[in-house]
Amino acid sequence: MSPARRLGRYLYRYRLRYALGVACLLAATGLSLGIPWMVKRAVDAMSRDGAAGLWRYVVAILALAAGHGVARMGSRFTMLGAGQWVEHDVRGELYAHLAKLPPAFYHEHRIGDLMSRASNDISAIRQVASFGTVMLAGTTFTVIGTVAAMWVIDPWLTACAMAPFPLLVLIARHFNHQVEVRSTAVQEQLGVLSAKIQENLAGMPVVRAYTMETREIGEFAALNREYLGRGMRLAGVQSVSWPMMGLVSGIGALIILWLGGRAVVEQRITLGGFVAFNGYLAHLAWPTIALGWTLASVKRGLAAMRRVVEILDTSPPADASHDEPGALPAGAIEFRDLTFAYAAGRAALSGVSFRIPEGGLVAVVGPTGSGKSTLGLLLCRLFEPPRGSVFIAGRDVRDVPVGRLRRSVGFVPQEAFLFSRSLRDNVLLGVLDVSTDAHVAAAEAAGLTEEVERFPQGWDTVVGERGQSLSGGQRQRAALARALAGAPPYLVLDDVLAAVDAAKEWEILASLRVAVSGRTTLLVTHRLRAAQEADWIVVLEEGRLVETGRHADLLAKGGLYARLWRVQQLEDELARA
Amino acid sequence: MSSPAPEDEVLGRAYDGRLMRRIWAIARPHRGLILLSFGIFPLIAVLELLQPYLVKRAIDDFILTRDWGGLGGVALLFSITLAVLYGLRVAQAYVMQLTGQRVIYDLRQALFAHLQTLDARFFDRNPVGRLMTRVLNDVEAISELFTSGVVTVLGDVLTLGGVVAIMFAMNWKLALVSASLGPVLAAATLYFRMRARESYRRVRTRLARLNAFLQESLSGMSVIQLFAREALEYRTFAGLNADLRRAQFRSTFYDASFYASVEALGSAAVALLLWYAGGEVVRGALTFGGLVAFLEYMGRAFLPIRDLGAKYTVMQAAMVSAERIFGLLDVDPAITSPASGSVEPPAVSVSSAAAAVEFRRVWFAYDDEEWVLRDCSFTVARGEQVALVGPTGEGKTTVVRLMTRAYDVTRGQVLIEGRDVREWDLTALRRHVGLVPQEVFLWRGTVEDNLRLGRDGAVSAAELERAVAAANARRMIDALPGGLAALVRERGVNLSQGQRQLLAIARALIYNPRVLALDEATSSVDPESEALIRSGMARLIEGRTSVIVAHRLSTIQNADRILVLHRGAVREAGRHAELVAAGGLYTRLYELQFGAAGR
Repeated sequence: MSPARRLGRYLYRYRLRYALGVACLLAATGLSLGIPWMVKRAVDAMSRDGAAGLWRYVVAILALAAGHGVARMGSRFTMLGAGQWVEHDVRGELYAHLAKLPPAFYHEHRIGDLMSRASNDISAIRQVASFGTVMLAGTTFTVIGTVAAMWVIDPWLTACAMAPFPLLVLIARHFNHQVEVRSTAVQEQLGVLSAKIQENLAGMPVVRAYTMETREIGEFAALNREYLGRGMRLAGVQSVSWPMMGLVSGIGALIILWLGGRAVVEQRITLGGFVAFNGYLAHLAWPTIALGWTLASVKRGLAAMRRVVEILDTSPPADASHDEPGALPAGAIEFRDLTFAYAAGRAALSGVSFRIPEGGLVAVVGPTGSGKSTLGLLLCRLFEPPRGSVFIAGRDVRDVPVGRLRRSVGFVPQEAFLFSRSLRDNVLLGVLDVSTDAHVAAAEAAGLTEEVERFPQGWDTVVGERGQSLSGGQRQRAALARALAGAPPYLVLDDVLAAVDAAKEWEILASLRVAVSGRTTLLVTHRLRAAQEADWIVVLEEGRLVETGRHADLLAKGGLYARLWRVQQLEDELARA
Repeated sequence: MSSPAPEDEVLGRAYDGRLMRRIWAIARPHRGLILLSFGIFPLIAVLELLQPYLVKRAIDDFILTRDWGGLGGVALLFSITLAVLYGLRVAQAYVMQLTGQRVIYDLRQALFAHLQTLDARFFDRNPVGRLMTRVLNDVEAISELFTSGVVTVLGDVLTLGGVVAIMFAMNWKLALVSASLGPVLAAATLYFRMRARESYRRVRTRLARLNAFLQESLSGMSVIQLFAREALEYRTFAGLNADLRRAQFRSTFYDASFYASVEALGSAAVALLLWYAGGEVVRGALTFGGLVAFLEYMGRAFLPIRDLGAKYTVMQAAMVSAERIFGLLDVDPAITSPASGSVEPPAVSVSSAAAAVEFRRVWFAYDDEEWVLRDCSFTVARGEQVALVGPTGEGKTTVVRLMTRAYDVTRGQVLIEGRDVREWDLTALRRHVGLVPQEVFLWRGTVEDNLRLGRDGAVSAAELERAVAAANARRMIDALPGGLAALVRERGVNLSQGQRQLLAIARALIYNPRVLALDEATSSVDPESEALIRSGMARLIEGRTSVIVAHRLSTIQNADRILVLHRGAVREAGRHAELVAAGGLYTRLYELQFGAAGR
């Protein structure tokens, strides 16, 4: 479906508002045309019978003015309001859709680009749906009404006065187009300039090291001069087009002065008609100038709609099954001959099989890039595993509704992403019942209680990017508490010690021991001290399972695990040195 | 959900004498342009006031007296004023834009140049995004002063004054009647503008809040999905979205009321005028032409009053931006060449007893008291190759940074060729000591641009060729589309790690410093590239004094001396074989990096 039809569907939702708005606009146009008409009658009356009876026209003008004001306001409330509703709906639907799209989508799209669609493009859509519609309808009514009123006064004069308008519309459109083209050029150069500044600031150590300051200033000056040049080319066309408004109404006045004056002299029209004509022509100046702007904004809006529709038409992974209530029962996790590759890459995992019995703790270790983190992502279906390869509680994860699956598995990601909200809200992220105090028990199990008590605002402390900054260890424990708060029977700990130094590692390990007890746990880690605690250890290298066994057995074997263990010991010795 | 208001929400005074004086100082070079636009204003005002007068004359003297020929003369005059007025307005708009654009140019240039003088510590504290806002957006806000702010206010005042004067001259009673609506208009403008501004601000904060939420949602979408939180997040988002819509509608209310009331007042003024003028016309105190001219004049008086509010906002925004820009320009560079002017690099004679590099009891911390170097001392003899190794990250990198005064020591001294780095001319120091940072930062441009970074690009083609060959980069560059002219994308994303490291070596060879301070890259590359890099590195180091943060086995094995840095000080020193034999810290480090891990 074309973006225009798509936009049309949103507008159609608010058809009553728009209809009412158009009606108001019609009334406003009619009433505003009545004012010069009353001025005409007043002037005519004045030249006929002097001041007597003038009050009637005065009252009529006041009444028309008041009515016009009300109708104008009405049209703006309804139509601009409807445009804002359209913006509201498009944005809401965009967000709801984004929330359904899988991580693979976010790997392909930069967040900056998505943000620009969700903010700039949506505001361009609002422009069309609000001011665009008001202007289009308003311009049409004004032109038709004004020409009709002038026609009644004198058709010949109207034809003469209107003669230059088609040309003026063309000229105005031309300038508008030029402004558009040149301001795009300015925006592009601004982009270049901003990229240069960004690069310079990011590369400042190199600038210093190679004493490039003078050269950088020179290069920036060249780009800056180009911006100045483009800015002036834009200014050139803007300076010619801005005063057009005055010129257009001036030309109208000139025509009236010359031809209208002659018509009065020849007594074809009255002096009042002359005055009214002046007033009507002034009505036409603004639509003439604004037409180009309006059309450009419609064009921009449709382009924006196309970009938004691109996202709305990206289909989320199908999850046909209806959500089932509650969490899965406790049980085992099993990987059965699992082979998986990210889009068109080499296999991240090949032929991996192992089982975590109910309540058991299995550690997966291996060097960076061995594919160990992928296991957790597949278990939670952040990426879709092939059918028949990942099982939970005896069911293929592909057959479990995503909602229920994720409610059942507590996941602690490598990077503990916290939202800019209170600590309580962060920990209770996965808990639907907000009245609960599950966060207290979860914090206890995650070893977070003391920290919370130390914050002045306790559980209400706002954390994350725009709040209190937490240390790596604190963040990890908060994320651990978050995973535990829903009391899930399964737990995935994805390299939770990666961002923590050795000293903090002990604290977290200590809290982990409490946390995992009784849950079927997949512990992914490259720190072996944590693995040591596991019931069973699986060693991965380049996506393949190379060793498996208990800590002591693996050490005795002298393979990859033993080598990794030695590295860790050396690190410990150095840390203590 | 509490989110701090974005920076641009703090609007204050619309006029600040101190800031205005500084803005004026910046605009001074363009005072000719500013004076020119001041000069054009009165002309425009006079012509604008002339037009209704011509209409009056046309009606009274020619139309009513049926003088067809005389009307032609007036129409001709009118068309001349029209053309001249248009010409003047075009000139006016152009001159004002020119002023604004030049001010933007100057300010951007000044800010950019100033940023080049600031030290690393400043950039640690100020995020790139904020600095970019200064250079890009705040600068535009100030230029608005010249394109639509102060200057036009003067023009408006002129026009308004002229209109009022003429109206009083034509018929003072009628003038008083129409002037009576002036204060009402001004009051309505002020009231609605104030409310509208308030409501705009509300719209902007709501929008900022919404966008912040959205940004965070997009960044943390996988967490939201993992905790099956989509519906609840959507509910919060829907709340913010609805808030925004309500705020927008509110601002529409004030906006629409404002324009509607201005228009209604205009019509009321016409009615009032007609009503009163009727009597005047009958008594002969006012002609028909005079009445029409009066209607015209009144329309012209309305415009500037109506636009007053918008200009106030422009002024306010400009003051806020000026405050921020001057705040940045006022940051003094903390690391500069000594005041005694440019010091020539000391003649380096072989007989000179001083060490090429010496750290004398250096203490250094990036943050208050978190010491990265504690009482660190060592010397490097001329021509000596020293490898720095150690388990923790910051200390070693800090050593090479201090050698070029990226930062200044907190306590102690860094001496190059026997002289404190703080006594060196900065440029001379940084030409003498070449710092090669760990991350190979490449610039957008061609490969050649990236090689000619230093020495203001003054490198002969032969020299460039030699360096490329010595760095083993010849084959790699030839393989790129376009060779030396191949385009490097932002941050060199289109080049592999190995390619980037070879370019870094060639770049350093071209820069040709006496002392090399090099932070080796940690990322591993394929064996073939590794061999090329190794022999390239060997040529780069040859014949130079070098201090290298070493991650390569070859680098440490070939070093004249290895310094083991741990907890901010040199703990062990010696050749590779000696240190291994000693069985201390180094032995473990060595095994960790090159042994058991099986690198």
